[in-house]
Amino acid sequence: MNLVGDIYTGCSNGLREIWANKVRSILSMSGIILGVAALVSMVGIVQGMLGNMRASFEQGGGILKLEVHPTEAPEAQQHIAGISPGMTWRDVVAIQRAIPLAGYTTPIVDMRYERFIAHGQRAGALLHGVTPDLIDIGTRELEYGRFVADLDIAQKSPVMVIGTHLRDKLFPDLDSAVGRQVRLRGQVYTIVGQLAEIKPMPGARSRYNWQNRYNYIPATTAMSRYQGTDAVNQIHVLADHVDDLPDLIEQLENTLTRTHRGIQDFEVRTQEERLNELKKLENSFTYSLGGIAGISLLVGGIGIMNVMLASVSERIREIGVRKAIGARSHDIFIQFLAEAIVISVLGGLIGLVASVGFLSVARDLIPQGSSISLLPVSAMFYGFIFSNAIGLLSGIYPAMRAARLDPIEALRYE
Amino acid sequence: MTEPDTIFKLSDLRRTYTVGSEQVNALDGVDLTIEDREFIAVIGSSGSGKSTLMHLLGFMDSPTAGRMEFEGKDVTRINGAARADLRASRIGFVFQSFNLLPRLSVLDNVLLPLTYSRSRVANQLELGMAALERVGMEHRYAHTPSQLSGGERQRVAIARALINQPRLILADEPTGNLDSKNRGRIMELFASLLEEGITLALVTHDHEVAGYAGRRIRMQDGKIVEDSKA
Repeated sequence: MNLVGDIYTGCSNGLREIWANKVRSILSMSGIILGVAALVSMVGIVQGMLGNMRASFEQGGGILKLEVHPTEAPEAQQHIAGISPGMTWRDVVAIQRAIPLAGYTTPIVDMRYERFIAHGQRAGALLHGVTPDLIDIGTRELEYGRFVADLDIAQKSPVMVIGTHLRDKLFPDLDSAVGRQVRLRGQVYTIVGQLAEIKPMPGARSRYNWQNRYNYIPATTAMSRYQGTDAVNQIHVLADHVDDLPDLIEQLENTLTRTHRGIQDFEVRTQEERLNELKKLENSFTYSLGGIAGISLLVGGIGIMNVMLASVSERIREIGVRKAIGARSHDIFIQFLAEAIVISVLGGLIGLVASVGFLSVARDLIPQGSSISLLPVSAMFYGFIFSNAIGLLSGIYPAMRAARLDPIEALRYE
Repeated sequence: MTEPDTIFKLSDLRRTYTVGSEQVNALDGVDLTIEDREFIAVIGSSGSGKSTLMHLLGFMDSPTAGRMEFEGKDVTRINGAARADLRASRIGFVFQSFNLLPRLSVLDNVLLPLTYSRSRVANQLELGMAALERVGMEHRYAHTPSQLSGGERQRVAIARALINQPRLILADEPTGNLDSKNRGRIMELFASLLEEGITLALVTHDHEVAGYAGRRIRMQDGKIVEDSKA
């Protein structure tokens, strides 16, 4: 008849009951509190960690990057595999000339770990021979000077772009090492550029970040001075648009098949696989954590049901009195249901507050935890809704038992 | 508003319980008419059917057979919600063991029936205080029942029964838990309600208490065996 009024009365009665039985109410709320807090903080932490992984994925060029790697020729071509020149500089040139869809293209001439010397200081770091496009494929930024330029490629210049690791080791007093000279296998290089440091996350245990250890020289310099061949280890290509990817892959395969004289001794790797792995990881985390949190909320619901059943049998006489003075069954039903809902809503709210606390602790304890959001809004929303639904469901049965009591029997109950 | 003079008219009313495999005729053909402003005492040994009769009059239970009219309307077969409506609007209950809710204050106990009344009452607090004044308990409105004596509790319970301005107050051994001094006070209070147009029916063992009533009904084995007016 007057549902709003009934609910209002039910909730105010519920609050009064909860206040009158503080310890019992808090105990029954604790399941919901922990359930919501666990759900929200776990989702928050996982979202933060996966956010990190996504960020590093994006840093490497994201979904638009394609990598061409050399492979064994297929079985059927093994006997003629020798006619392929392998992956070479010519492939890079062919891609640049023949495939307009390839927005940026760079070879990676991987010189691995090299020893660098300056002022008698020695330091080990990683060295790649690349073309100017590399800086556009990843998301590395130049802090000082310039990157490898087209002219360097043409002239096979002895220039080097270094990362902050090498700067720290060889020129610890300098902010910018641009203009300085470095010796590499007895040859002198001029530092023309320095990459911006990729900052370790605040609060992380280690300042180690492998990306800062990379240093770059022109691919042509690397090939002519050290390799003596024009072989390259990988070719990275960046598409302009996701929609171009299928065509670009096909064109890369066609072009390289031609330059490799029909031998399929290369493969085009997409980042889609990595992205799918990442998504799979996200899903499996979400489902397993959701399951765990769901179970703990369920346990919380059982706790509420238990307490409500106890409360009903404790108050059988009261129910009898209320019915005798005019309460209908549905008034009693709403009263007890409202009590269960008030418990779960309060528990849910306290759980949300607790989750903020958990998350801020997690931020300090977990390496690279700074990307953990203190307020994972959607998780909080669903956690709260879910906890209220659990409270509602677990309140129905006890409320029905209360509502069905016969007033005469209830009044006789001692 | 003119109300019908006859409050209840029961004809051949029966209430049968099944206990195990046995049929118990708690009420075995009761004919009874209750008029406006009567003060009825129902007496009889335990098991005589007087509580069952009270439950039926209070719309807490429905009869197995027979006919029951309330204020001229047939109420023999009304459903639970309709019975609850009548309890809320027309009937006041007073119990032997008071049955105040221990966690609520005296005033909140008195106001409790208004929670379930179908018409919204605006000046609840004034009504509650007026009812407490009527029973002389207004000074203790903020206490909880446990802070009151038995007689005081029963007066609060009567104030609760009065709050909805009922037509009929049913009392089940209202003085059973009280000493003789309080018993007298409560009975005088009941008698004074009569003058305000409230009809009373009470169940009692106590002949002294029954002496306050204008009409006595004696029950035995589910039947009315004596119906006398003083």
